[in-house]
Amino acid sequence: MRTQFRITSALLSQIRKDLRRPHLFASERVGFISAGLAWSGSSVLILARNYHPVADEDYLDSTAVGAMMGPEAIRKAMELGLLKRDAVFHVHSHGGRGVPAFSSIDRREHAKFVPDFLKVAPQNIHGALVLSDCAGAGVIWTAGARAPERISNFVEVGAPLRKWGMQ
Amino acid sequence: MRRLERQSFLGPNSDQVLANTKVGLVGLGGGGSHLVQQFAHLGIGGFVLVDPDVIDLGNTNRLVGGTLADVAAHRAKVQIAERLIRGLQTDGDVKSIQARWESALDELKGCDVIVGAVDSYGARDELERFARRYLIPYVDIGMDVLKCREGDFLISGQVILSSPGEPCLRCCNFITEERLEREAEKYGAAGGRPQVVWSNGILASIAVGIVVELLTPWRRRTEGFIYLEYDGNRKTVTVSNCVAEVVGRTCLHYPDDERGDPAFDVRHLREKSNVSPKLDLSGQVVGSPRRKLWWRRLVDRILACRNRPQHDRL
Repeated sequence: MRTQFRITSALLSQIRKDLRRPHLFASERVGFISAGLAWSGSSVLILARNYHPVADEDYLDSTAVGAMMGPEAIRKAMELGLLKRDAVFHVHSHGGRGVPAFSSIDRREHAKFVPDFLKVAPQNIHGALVLSDCAGAGVIWTAGARAPERISNFVEVGAPLRKWGMQ
Repeated sequence: MRRLERQSFLGPNSDQVLANTKVGLVGLGGGGSHLVQQFAHLGIGGFVLVDPDVIDLGNTNRLVGGTLADVAAHRAKVQIAERLIRGLQTDGDVKSIQARWESALDELKGCDVIVGAVDSYGARDELERFARRYLIPYVDIGMDVLKCREGDFLISGQVILSSPGEPCLRCCNFITEERLEREAEKYGAAGGRPQVVWSNGILASIAVGIVVELLTPWRRRTEGFIYLEYDGNRKTVTVSNCVAEVVGRTCLHYPDDERGDPAFDVRHLREKSNVSPKLDLSGQVVGSPRRKLWWRRLVDRILACRNRPQHDRL
């Protein structure tokens, strides 16, 4: 399935700025993007709506990963899917330039909780994004699929309008 | 020399960026035909052309590319536009839809930018709402000829860039409930929707410039909201006074929560036949019975033919 992730420059800037904030003990910050979905005849469009940072108190003190979310953070994200029928995307940043890639730890951790969003909103696709300072990459999970799929391309809607990924 | 060499100042990858851009053009009359012509010259690679009408003799005062032969042939405006594009972009991805834009929703959702050259405030309002819902920048152009008290005519027009998250046509009071209500009663005063080629050309050229700047920013400062007013009598284009009032304000007319198809369900999409199937590394459709390779199918056919009774082969 071809997928295109669209997000405004303003929202993307807001997310990057928030993810750069230091945390008391976590070495990085994470959050969730809620999105609407649409079918364009050839692609599923993922249309970013809002950003929901994980609250300071919802991080767990752990050295295993850069940012360990507690159950409350996951519960709040699941509510977006259940109550608002949003598609939910976990987001974090690796910084730097160019199109980023998920680490093996990212892939392992995402597989633990992102598919759970399908239990509350199986009509949607859900996923995870990793950002750099100028681009991003992502994967999606859909109900019934055995493995996540890559998001085909991204559009940053603003002035200028920027596109990257498979055309 | 490359075809687009003289516009290389637009950026080192500008040819590729423009070729990978899909522009939706709604309304292919006086304004829209100029847009088509210029986007084709620029090297835009994807077009969704939407207009329900066929050219008539009254269009030939302004419809760029339209000829008297087209009038005689009752040619659709989308066909004339596509012909113009094909003359410059032989491998362009052109989707021509001879219908109202409401019949082309899926195609328009896939566009990077939509430019509307429609006649009514109502259509502008609906197009902008659509563009906002699917996070697509919308550029509106339009002109009007009004009869003054002294018997003169006033030619005016506007070009507005409405980007998601930025002020909209309602924020800047271009679309108001009063205008929408009044529209049904009166539009223009110099006969049936007066239009002239030079004003359409000026407005369309500005709109094309705005789109190019969005895609290939050739100067440092680009704006997400633009409202330019054209005064055809003074021959001027000026920034609308309302811009200073609305820039920086959050648009409350199109909430973020409205983005997307309200009843989207990915499980129904899987059932649609036109959904691209997921392919594995060998190009086989995942989850479907494995299709035999071509040589295996050929061998099977030969064997089946040989095993068939003699009379069946005749």
